[in-house]
Amino acid sequence: MESLAAGLHLLDRPQAVTQADPDLELAERFQGGDRTAFDALVRRHQKGMWRLSRRYVKSDADAADVTQLAFVRAFRGLAAFRGTATVRSWLYRIAINCALSWLRDHRREQPAEIPEDALTEDNPAVAQLSAGDDRARLRAAIAKLPPKQKLVLELRVFDDLSFREVADLAECSENTAKVNFHYAVKRLRDILGADHEP
Amino acid sequence: MSRDRAPRAPGATPRDGVPPAAGASDDRALLGAYVDGVAELTPDERRAAEARLVSDPAARAEADALRGIVDQLRALPPAGDEPDWSAMERAIRRAVDGVPVRPWWRLGRWWIPALTCATAAAVLVAAWPSVAPEHTPPQDRAARAPQEDRDPDAAGAIVPLWLAGGEVEVDVAAASDVGSMFGDLDVGLEPAAEDNDEVAPPAAEPGLLPAGDLAWVDRLDDAALERAEHWLAGRKG
Repeated sequence: MESLAAGLHLLDRPQAVTQADPDLELAERFQGGDRTAFDALVRRHQKGMWRLSRRYVKSDADAADVTQLAFVRAFRGLAAFRGTATVRSWLYRIAINCALSWLRDHRREQPAEIPEDALTEDNPAVAQLSAGDDRARLRAAIAKLPPKQKLVLELRVFDDLSFREVADLAECSENTAKVNFHYAVKRLRDILGADHEP
Repeated sequence: MSRDRAPRAPGATPRDGVPPAAGASDDRALLGAYVDGVAELTPDERRAAEARLVSDPAARAEADALRGIVDQLRALPPAGDEPDWSAMERAIRRAVDGVPVRPWWRLGRWWIPALTCATAAAVLVAAWPSVAPEHTPPQDRAARAPQEDRDPDAAGAIVPLWLAGGEVEVDVAAASDVGSMFGDLDVGLEPAAEDNDEVAPPAAEPGLLPAGDLAWVDRLDDAALERAEHWLAGRKG
């Protein structure tokens, strides 16, 4: 079966599968006093945390600041990390919190009030200007999703998180994350299909 | 409907050939997860989704459409220009340079109970004099009182006397010394002098000199007076 085979080929997507936390050893080494383990975590996750922050603060430099702040907070808190979630989702949660704090602190500098769950890769208004561009249309469609679906979709697709990690960050069950992802993609298809209609 | 249960898709209706007990809307709502990460489905979820795909052509078409959207999403380039990762790494290292790896309460857990016990012991020792009498059971106090009365070192053994213009504490237990000091004179131990207002020993306690009849003073010879003065000087010193 074509669909089944196409689905099965995704079995080898390593980053989205949470069998064992690959960062747990680093966290434990850090808790044992090895500072270099934290450097390894930074190298491994700074890109992902920057991208995640970038979707909130909309600025490359601000995202870098938020990422740095998030890592400093993570450094202070990693000794108390208990492993109830993966290290990555724990780090991403810190990054989200830092980004939200940054948005609150810089609310006056923003052109308009940004909702806390405004997770879009780009400004939808800008995206609308280039309506002929498929990418821009796709980004604009993402911006139209309900907040929860948008959060789940972006964490899953752009941050490559497992559904377990998405559920941790979206504060829902893993099954709810899967279902929200399904309806997010389905809704995107509907939005893009409606855009194509005359 | 439980919180984790998939909401029914708009317009989704159970189709013929799909067992309703399997949760027709539920397994269909997992198609997106099936398309994007079949390995993350539980065996039951995977079986249900595959059964749906086998039996439902519309579900297969939907799965294909979802896969196309997911592929487009994954092909989207990330927004923004990435920063200098090495510079960011150095900045983070500088920022955490002075921060201890472990908080103070985890630096050495072993000494926490030891310090706690030592502190508690010190507090108990410091508070004992003021606390102990209040916590002494009455029967203990009653039992202790006669013991104190029988104690030869009790407060009555030391008698303060005002002698030769100064206060002298005299140990009545040293009465034999007094005897030797005054030679063969028979000096009885009587309560302290009544005319001495500043010294008020208990009436029941013995004193060194007889308060009533002082005629024995006239019978003292020079040697006895010299020994008495010498003894007084020694007591004052």
